[in-house]
Amino acid sequence: MNLVINGKEKNIADSLTVSQLLVQENVKMPDMVSVELNGQILRRTEFEETILKDDDKVEFLYFMGGGCGIN
Amino acid sequence: MKADTLAVHGGFGGDNETGATAVPISQTVSYAYKTAQELADVFDGKSPGYIYTRIANPTTAALEVRLTQLEDGIGCIATSSGMAAIASVAMSLARAGDEIIAATGIFGGTVSLFENTLGRFNVKTTLVDVVDTNNFANAINNKTKLIFIETIGNPRMDVPDIPAIAEIAHQANVPLVVDNTVTTPFLIKPVEFGADIVVHSTSKFINGHGTAIGGAIIDTGNYDWRKGTFEDIKKLSESVGQLAFLAHLRNLIYRDLGGCAAPMNSFLMLQGLETLSGRMVKHCENAEKLARLLQSHPKVSWVNYPGLTESKFSNRVTKLFDGRGGGLLTFGLGNKQRAFRFIDSLKLAKNLANLGDAKTLVIHPASTIFHEFSPDEQKSMGVSDDMIRVSVGIEDFEDIRADFKQAIERAFKETK
Repeated sequence: MNLVINGKEKNIADSLTVSQLLVQENVKMPDMVSVELNGQILRRTEFEETILKDDDKVEFLYFMGGGCGIN
Repeated sequence: MKADTLAVHGGFGGDNETGATAVPISQTVSYAYKTAQELADVFDGKSPGYIYTRIANPTTAALEVRLTQLEDGIGCIATSSGMAAIASVAMSLARAGDEIIAATGIFGGTVSLFENTLGRFNVKTTLVDVVDTNNFANAINNKTKLIFIETIGNPRMDVPDIPAIAEIAHQANVPLVVDNTVTTPFLIKPVEFGADIVVHSTSKFINGHGTAIGGAIIDTGNYDWRKGTFEDIKKLSESVGQLAFLAHLRNLIYRDLGGCAAPMNSFLMLQGLETLSGRMVKHCENAEKLARLLQSHPKVSWVNYPGLTESKFSNRVTKLFDGRGGGLLTFGLGNKQRAFRFIDSLKLAKNLANLGDAKTLVIHPASTIFHEFSPDEQKSMGVSDDMIRVSVGIEDFEDIRADFKQAIERAFKETK
């Protein structure tokens, strides 16, 4: 399936959960990342149960440092 | 995972290198990077990482994740105190010329922050009684930037109709800020009743042992900052979506005010959270027993505990807190002299300015935490001269009962 991850299109295996995507994409500091799925922030408890679908838009966000590109 | 499990494991899965099961205390000011480009990327938001503990810290981050999970929010910022949390929220949302609506009977320090400190910056606060929810609708206008309530007003013990107030706030596109300090997520998750922002003084029940000062701000995700009236936050939402409010705090207000949590204190809050659920059960049980004891005591003038079925807030306590009235109560002995003698006669309970400790605590609010307010102001805030506030601890109730009974007797004997 095709996902848009941080604004870039990417083809990944079907039926992946958000937790699995974090591992597959080797997301830095996974304990601290916030995940936005189609404009909505997911609760951390939803990472394991949320299965991604074709054309989903996923953003990995951090607001822990200077972060967010808004300094 | 369920809440009891999240309280123990949330935000930290163990240290992969050492096997440590407790969250390590990152007692450091800053974080070194091997290359200039790496640090530049973190500053620029292109790469995640810590910069400086005033902005973020790994121990504090673990606390923030755990609190986010327990409050079922989308993110959290831990602060140096509950007052720092409230000040950061208010200064993020309100500018000069804007207005705040707050409940009467909330913590005196919060009233002072709104009226005195923020008043100096031309932010006006209107205090309204929570008994009649219509008071909020009547007070709201196009300058209102936030509504602030406590889950149980301290020390009036008022319980607001949170979902009804949330509806009023949202009709006006105003965020509702709920202080969940005295109830904690184990009695209520305000997110489920429409709260947009939850604040805590973590120094109280969350810490639970009177060992550290701290606070927290949780965005519940209920308020859509993309459609809000806060232009700077709205602009941020174009890049970070729903996290715009927290980003506005982290990268501007909270960063600039400097009210960061100390790593050691964050560790103590994490430890406190692990036992919070069990402690809250005992706090509520003991408080209800003490309220009933005082209610039936012939020398006690009045008792105010929202967990009593006779309380005018009983229905709200059932709806919001599943019938549990919390660990705080107030009562009166008729006059200030008796109140003082009662406090002086206590052997177990401690006379001090705090609440939420495992130990039973008392205070005479009128002469201490509300001393800066005039008698008329105290009256409107529900503080009377004979009032004693009790934060009921988790000791064996028989020892609390014996201490209160003997102190009440002494309070009256010495009047003769």
